[in-house]
Amino acid sequence: MPKPKSDLLQGTLDLLILKTLDLEPMHGWGISQRIQQVSESVLQVNQGSLYPALHRLEEQGWIASSWKTSENNRQAKYYELTRRGRKQLVEEKDNWLRLSAAVGRIVGEA
Amino acid sequence: MANWNSILRFLFRRSEVERELDAELQYHVDRQTELNIQRGMAPAEARRNARLAVGGIEPLKDDCREARLGRTIEILAQDVRYGLRVLRKNPGYASAVILTLALGIGANTAIFSLIYGVFLRPLPYRDGGQLVVLHQNVKQSQQHDIGFSPLEVSDFAEHSHTLDGVVEHHAMTFLLLGKDTAERVTTSVVSVNFFDVLGVKPLLGRTFLPSDDKRTAAVLVLSYQYWQGHQGGDPNIVGKVFQMNNMPHTVIGVLPPIPQYPVESDVYMPTWQCPFRSNPRNIANRGFRLISHLFGRLKPGVTVGQAQNDLSVVSAQMCSAHPGTYPAGAGFQIATDPLQYDLTHQAQTTFLVLLAVSAFVLLVACANVANMMLARLLKLERELAVRAALGAGKLRLVRQLLTESVLLSLAGGVLGLAIAPLALKILVGFAARFTPRAYEVRIDGPVLLFTLLVSVATGLLFGLLPALAPRLNAGYSVLHGSRATASRGKQFLRASLVVAQVAVSFLLLIGAGLMIRSFLKLGAENPGFDPSHLLAMRIDAGFSRSMDNASQRSLRETIARKVGAIGGIASVGWISNPPFAPSGIIAGPGSQDFEIEGQPTSKGAPLPTVDVSVADTNYFQTVRQPLVKGRYFTPRDDEKAPVVALINETMARHRWPNEDPIGKRISFDRQHWITIQGVVGDTREYGLQHPTLDELYVPADQAGGASSLVVRTAIKPDALMQAVRAAVHDVDPLLAIDQVNTLERFEYDSLTPSRLMTILLGLFAGLAVLISASGIAAVMALAVSQRTHELGVRLALGARHGSIVGMVVRQGLVLALCGTLIGVAIAAALARLLSTLLYATSPTDAPTYLAVAVVFLAVAAVACYIPARQVTGIDPLNALRQE
Repeated sequence: MPKPKSDLLQGTLDLLILKTLDLEPMHGWGISQRIQQVSESVLQVNQGSLYPALHRLEEQGWIASSWKTSENNRQAKYYELTRRGRKQLVEEKDNWLRLSAAVGRIVGEA
Repeated sequence: MANWNSILRFLFRRSEVERELDAELQYHVDRQTELNIQRGMAPAEARRNARLAVGGIEPLKDDCREARLGRTIEILAQDVRYGLRVLRKNPGYASAVILTLALGIGANTAIFSLIYGVFLRPLPYRDGGQLVVLHQNVKQSQQHDIGFSPLEVSDFAEHSHTLDGVVEHHAMTFLLLGKDTAERVTTSVVSVNFFDVLGVKPLLGRTFLPSDDKRTAAVLVLSYQYWQGHQGGDPNIVGKVFQMNNMPHTVIGVLPPIPQYPVESDVYMPTWQCPFRSNPRNIANRGFRLISHLFGRLKPGVTVGQAQNDLSVVSAQMCSAHPGTYPAGAGFQIATDPLQYDLTHQAQTTFLVLLAVSAFVLLVACANVANMMLARLLKLERELAVRAALGAGKLRLVRQLLTESVLLSLAGGVLGLAIAPLALKILVGFAARFTPRAYEVRIDGPVLLFTLLVSVATGLLFGLLPALAPRLNAGYSVLHGSRATASRGKQFLRASLVVAQVAVSFLLLIGAGLMIRSFLKLGAENPGFDPSHLLAMRIDAGFSRSMDNASQRSLRETIARKVGAIGGIASVGWISNPPFAPSGIIAGPGSQDFEIEGQPTSKGAPLPTVDVSVADTNYFQTVRQPLVKGRYFTPRDDEKAPVVALINETMARHRWPNEDPIGKRISFDRQHWITIQGVVGDTREYGLQHPTLDELYVPADQAGGASSLVVRTAIKPDALMQAVRAAVHDVDPLLAIDQVNTLERFEYDSLTPSRLMTILLGLFAGLAVLISASGIAAVMALAVSQRTHELGVRLALGARHGSIVGMVVRQGLVLALCGTLIGVAIAAALARLLSTLLYATSPTDAPTYLAVAVVFLAVAAVACYIPARQVTGIDPLNALRQE
């Protein structure tokens, strides 16, 4: 399976998606908008890697999809966290915090 | 953690998956378009921009598909379909590969089922790994496995701290009398808790209980084999009563079909029912070592080593408590072995050699198939180059080649599984001569798994070599370049594969050659008597009629007279155990201590030992065992006369090297002295492969117990078998007759293990040589066809066809010679492993190596010559025009 075409650290996109879906079920478009808004436009999600990532996460059973009526009254594919996805989110968040703390310590000392 | 729903949906509801993917991405583009319009773009511009932002819809869709596991399966299926199509188009290539592999994989499957069944499958007893066998050895006289006396058994049972139960076993033959049948049955005499300690549950009825030791009612447990073979599998057998040793015996149970160890017995009885084991005089005698086997179960957590230490302490205490039985210097010792080891160690060398040999054959087959595949790739170079040029990644091409080779090897594996059962049937009969576990061998789950793994590994092995060949991705030069310089890398690879094949095949041929030479030497050994036209059978009157010497003599004489009166019988004799008889071969020599008059052994030093046989006056003339010195037995050597004996030449040489042994006296008990009256020729008493030991013969009229009838016939012995049987039963219908056979067949049977091993190695080596020869031929054929241009130029310049054929053959022979030299080096190093299987043949026997090399190079020369002849068909003009 190809790696996501992203400047983000490997696995970070997964964490962002999982975290976004933790708030409420959302379609792909909404996820990309939400990440952009929350990060105050620092993180631009590459659409080319968002959808393959969603499909990969679904294949891994961390998120599940269903068709629902969207806010503009059209049918859209909504993703939501599964029970295993919630566990994965906790794990990835821990990893991320450990990693960023470590990076922070190194950068801070330098 | 595969998500099966999603995979299945991807594979089988593809249109729905695609529609949803379209809709999902369309929704995104629509929303982005809306956003763009809101930001002030024109609608057309807004849509174009939205599409660009995702980087093109179609590549994105591809990326989304690749994220699915189902896609991997889909690609595999495509490769498989493609591979099948390719193989259908090349049926000759496909069937050659599949057949080669089927032979290799089939042989390996059969041998592995043997190894698995014998060495790896858990013993058919409860926690078989906890079971141990005890052996008592005498270090000084190098006597192994002398057995145990009843008193010794109770010492070990009572004083060991590491064993949970010690149980004994010895085998006897008794007469089992039904209403109107007399059958001699092999009887295992065992402790009542024997089956509990082993953990064997009965198939019918029950096994022994402690109450069966109370001497109230005699009971029997039947083996599955005896119940099926001799009692017709009678479901109401439990409760049936037989007469045995003058007592009624009731059948209480039947054992399941497990391998019986140490003896394939017909019936089992508790110890008190054995008249010899329960004789009070025998029980009180510490030296009466009737019990051949002692088994124990290790207490939980105890290792074999700890048990060994514990039992050594018990043995040492026993020895110091009874110095009369155990002289201080004799070195009585106890050895503890895991039961698994005891059951199988005899088979180990033979089986491992077979496993190695069959693995070698498979490797040769692999190399051959890899070569065939390389040859096919050379023809396909254009196609591959075109596909590479059209954008097929190298990885995808490699994956496709591997798919194809694994398909081939799986097909070979399936065909191999069809061959394996046939091979296994022969192998099990062979293996049974080394280990009772042979009957547990079968093709089941673990064996199937092995075959699957071997097939896949084989496919990967011979697929990977050509797939990684240097020129696979050099498509460009193939499309443009000239043919003459292409593929040098592959030529080298092919040549090395052939050299490797030749080396391994040569190694196998050396192994087979050594076995053949050893077998020929064995067959040429002189047995020391004339086994042709000899018929032997064991005749037993049974314990219930144990007779004194006089009545034994009259029974022998009556039978001999009756049998001698049959037309076609030349001579009749009696012996305790005929030479080559299977009982002798299995049990081995039963050595007895003796002392030579005037040569007392110092206290504690080991006594000389000898094998003792009982023969009547006609025996030696009947089997034509020559008299070297002195005289044969005469009818005057009876109970009233002084005790006499004959010895063989080996014993004469061994004990009286510079003296005349005639008139010398020996004794077994230092009270009764036996005078040596004659020296007879040496015989191979226990089979041609076993060396002659010291043998002593005592006259039947003085010792009794010569229970085997030996008959020399003037016509074919088989024709008289029934007549002799009838004559014996004419004398007494309740005499049990067994082990009826001709001595030639005993001789043939005793050589069967060597013969089968020789045939097996020969077959394997032949197979490997055949495969390699076809490999050499194929490589040379391809080399010739690839060099058509060059050879055409040579012909045009005036070279003669003959000299070019010679050149091609020479080049092929260089490969074969390289392989042969490497093979000699490996063989010289590895053949030592065969040495225990060889008879009077050194593993580096020069004549064998030379003969094998000559044969091998001749085969290689033929294999080179056949393709080289194509050269004569080359027309120089055509060849030159091809470029």
